[in-house]
Amino acid sequence: MSGDHIHPEPTSFLSKYVFSHDHKVIAKQFMWFGLIWLGIGGIMAMMIRWQLANPGMPVPAIGEFLFPRTNGVLDPATYNTLFTMHGTIMIFLGLTPLMIGAFGNWCIPLMIGARDMIFPLLNMLSFWTVFVGGCVGFYSLFVPMGANEAGWTSYATLSTTVGAQGLGETLWAVAVFLIGASSIMGGINYMTTIIRLRAPGMTWGKLPLTVWALFLTSVLNVLFIPVIGSAMILLFLDRAVGTSFFTPASLMQGGGGGDPILYQHLFWIFGHPEVYILILPAWGFVCDLLSFFARKPAFGYRASVGAMTAVTVLSAVVYGHHMFTTGLSPMLGESFMLLTMIISVPAEILFFNWLHTLWKGNLRLEVPMLWAIGVIFVFGLGGLTGIYLATIGTDIFLHDTYFVVGHFHLTMAASALFGTFGALTFWFPKMFGRRMNQTLGKIHFWGTIVPLTFVFCLMFAMGYAGMPRRYFDHTSAEWLADLQHMNKMATHAAFLLGAVQLVFVYNFIKSRFWGPVAEENPWEVGTLDWSMPTPVPYYNFKEIPTVHTGPHEFSHPALGEDRDWIPMTEKLPT
Amino acid sequence: MRAAVLNLPREDAATKVNATLGMVFFIGSWAMAFGAIFLSFLVLRQRVGVWPPEGIALPSFPMAAVATAVLLASSALLHLAVKREESDQPGIQPLWIAGLGLGVGFAALQGWLWMDLMGAGRLPTSGLYESLFYGLTWIHAVHVVIGLLSLVWASVGLKTGRYGSHRLSTVSNIAIFWHFVDVVWIVLFLGFFVF
Amino acid sequence: MHRLQTLLLPRLKSCAALLALIGLTGVARAQEAAETVNRWGLGEPASDYGYRFTDLFWLITILVGVSFVLVLILIAIPVIRDRARPGHKASFDHGSSLHDKQVTTVISVITFLVLDAWVLVIAMQDLREAYWAYPDGDDEGVYEVQVLAQQWSWNFRAAGADGEFGTADDILSNSELVVPVGRPVSFQMTSKDVIHALFLPEMRMKKDVNPGDLNKAWFQANRSGDFTILCAELCGFAHYQMHGKLTVLEQDTFNEWEQEASKLALAAFDSEDTESQWAWDWEQ
Repeated sequence: MSGDHIHPEPTSFLSKYVFSHDHKVIAKQFMWFGLIWLGIGGIMAMMIRWQLANPGMPVPAIGEFLFPRTNGVLDPATYNTLFTMHGTIMIFLGLTPLMIGAFGNWCIPLMIGARDMIFPLLNMLSFWTVFVGGCVGFYSLFVPMGANEAGWTSYATLSTTVGAQGLGETLWAVAVFLIGASSIMGGINYMTTIIRLRAPGMTWGKLPLTVWALFLTSVLNVLFIPVIGSAMILLFLDRAVGTSFFTPASLMQGGGGGDPILYQHLFWIFGHPEVYILILPAWGFVCDLLSFFARKPAFGYRASVGAMTAVTVLSAVVYGHHMFTTGLSPMLGESFMLLTMIISVPAEILFFNWLHTLWKGNLRLEVPMLWAIGVIFVFGLGGLTGIYLATIGTDIFLHDTYFVVGHFHLTMAASALFGTFGALTFWFPKMFGRRMNQTLGKIHFWGTIVPLTFVFCLMFAMGYAGMPRRYFDHTSAEWLADLQHMNKMATHAAFLLGAVQLVFVYNFIKSRFWGPVAEENPWEVGTLDWSMPTPVPYYNFKEIPTVHTGPHEFSHPALGEDRDWIPMTEKLPT
Repeated sequence: MRAAVLNLPREDAATKVNATLGMVFFIGSWAMAFGAIFLSFLVLRQRVGVWPPEGIALPSFPMAAVATAVLLASSALLHLAVKREESDQPGIQPLWIAGLGLGVGFAALQGWLWMDLMGAGRLPTSGLYESLFYGLTWIHAVHVVIGLLSLVWASVGLKTGRYGSHRLSTVSNIAIFWHFVDVVWIVLFLGFFVF
Repeated sequence: MHRLQTLLLPRLKSCAALLALIGLTGVARAQEAAETVNRWGLGEPASDYGYRFTDLFWLITILVGVSFVLVLILIAIPVIRDRARPGHKASFDHGSSLHDKQVTTVISVITFLVLDAWVLVIAMQDLREAYWAYPDGDDEGVYEVQVLAQQWSWNFRAAGADGEFGTADDILSNSELVVPVGRPVSFQMTSKDVIHALFLPEMRMKKDVNPGDLNKAWFQANRSGDFTILCAELCGFAHYQMHGKLTVLEQDTFNEWEQEASKLALAAFDSEDTESQWAWDWEQ
């Protein structure tokens, strides 16, 4: 049950690599799983962009193969499926498994000094549940009438039998439920592990901020994923059995009486914390990486922890800002506007701490550091544009336009993705014992951040010009046809962005198998995960270490001239 | 004594705390799930105006009250069983089996409630009241079934000596889950039959 | 693999340049192709309250722009000045002194006041004076319109000459709406099937149209002309085609049009056609 005593190492292929209980193997399973889905979601994004720039033209290269019935041309229903599944896949099957599944599993036991997760069996189940969920989602793409077409939010009644007849939508609800169950299992495991299995001396004030962020993410997972779970069950019953939770009386013969707006409330009670579920791990990585590579203590450790905790708490009470045009009462609308503005305060504190950490440091601009600084940049851009959407006066016009698309892609997609790239490039030497190519890493970074910023900033311009989102073809409305030049530009930049990701794929796979062997602590940091030999032994720590020093004691004056860092297991010289 | 026969190590205090803590988080999570469902119940009920709706067959109140009593008694027996085993007193097995039996009794009564209502021609598709009644009790019933299976599992383990005073955390966690199922039912009962 | 590496690595810069070139030519081509009509921003608002959106948008843009430039400067300075080099050491600062806490608090409060509170106050004013200040039902000048959205068109109903909804002379129209200039236009809206959203971009008006509920919205046009009606909430596969035309007429022309349209509606009224009998009492 608990991870603090030693079991014999498994020897068979199945128990070692497939149904492994070892958190490190499970982390890698999550990682490959997430990366593959990230690729699938990315290809979907490319097809969406193609259609927006060239409505009615056959999708090049893969179109003939994927849509033979229409000679490679997207039809509106397929287009709706694409953006729906793009969102679902990126959020639930790409970023969540990567950041929380892979790095939660990798970092938590190693950074707190534990031999494994506290419930290894639950940990394995968590991966195989998300795997089954992913399979259900993938299968739903091929059922008659296609996968979910109602957007990743799947508002009732478009998602009930009123608006969607096929099996795809039902399978989508099942998939989201399973993926959510996996996240809850992971969350319970992470929380209990962090509370119970910290090494002696690893106080709450010495936890690396990555672990803090993952802890708070787990709290959000455990508390708010169940809400979407319930919504999915009710949606499933509405679709499969014919109940009427979300269908009003006027739409049903004889029965009915439900409330479509109830679905929106349930969805966003979960949905807004979900945004923070995706961004908190990235914040944690950034907090640590900035300190590690600026060779300077993380500025305002306690303030950062407090800010992240405040965000966690407040994230539950701001969800109404997704519903400003739904017809909320003015009282509710204004309250949510105020609360949304208040949640920006902890985010600002975190921001100052990051900028302060950089200030007067000794910056090693290695690839993980570039990604961390990249997060400051894109999250700054995305966070600041949130003000337009929190303000009802501007949101009334901007709601459901491309402005929103640009905003949430910068905050929860790009920031989370950059954080993930930072973490991947940072822990790669410990995970695989090899080094990634720095030059290719830098090309990948610059090739990503430039077109990405261009695409999403262009989307702000499109949104301001009034272009609604989720339109199959903007040229069909006269008033939008004269914005097509922006769509074309965005698409070209997006293709460049997509092409540059191939550099990463090449670098990742090549370095994984043929890269030069890495040193045990190439970045010279003191946290426990880097105190271990590479590859990390099956039971991580032969002896559970005792922690004496904080994770960020870089450039301490007592350390002398020859090194600027100290392992957490050593005492600071006096 | 049984532990000595099977040569099982006595679980340490830390393992017990770990297991209980994990269970507490799990229950907290599930409470949010049911919280969302109760919230939906309240919102939808408020839309209807007249509650319960007039002029249609409603599920039988006396039967539901009996079911509630049975489930409460079942929960109480399990609690007693765990408490006795913790203080190394004998008698966990008969108490546990009795609790399990009452749990099965609750499931039967629940089934009767559904059959009764369906017999009166009220189906899940008939309207909002039926949607809520069937939907919510189905969701609860899934937990009842999972709970009953776990109770059976635990009673087998108690019989073979796998669980006992030397290894109680699984058993007491199953009891906690059953109490939770109980609490959820009470809220459902209050919502549908009392207020 | 190794051969590929020796082949590619020395040419990395040219590879990157090539990729950049592909991107740039793409941009250039896009600009060429789009020479016919290119719109970048928004035109002048056509409603009385429309200026509020534009004003607030640009106020926020200035605030946000200044903040973002500050952030960029604060990133750029250490990145340029404090790069790792031999003999250079980072300052040791945990940022946990009372002074640091005070500085953080003060900066946060100032940022909140400047960025958020200021905008919040203006937005509250806008909501109370404009967007949510729905015209009074007793007001004579209000032009009332009932909206029934469906997949995928807009059904509009105006009371016609008798001023009563649900009568034979109601002016019915599909995806085309005619309203007067200078009078508040008040909507009550619901949907037949899924959620839609009535979006009048030139009027800066948007409101969801929910099945099973009545939602309201209003605007007052400040000039005559032809404008756009769009659907802003995903409503199925022809969502993108659910657009229509809003015609704003001068007061005199409008009165003539209303009389004429009401007469025509009366003549065309078909009591058998239950599909078009939808209407409800105007809710105050």
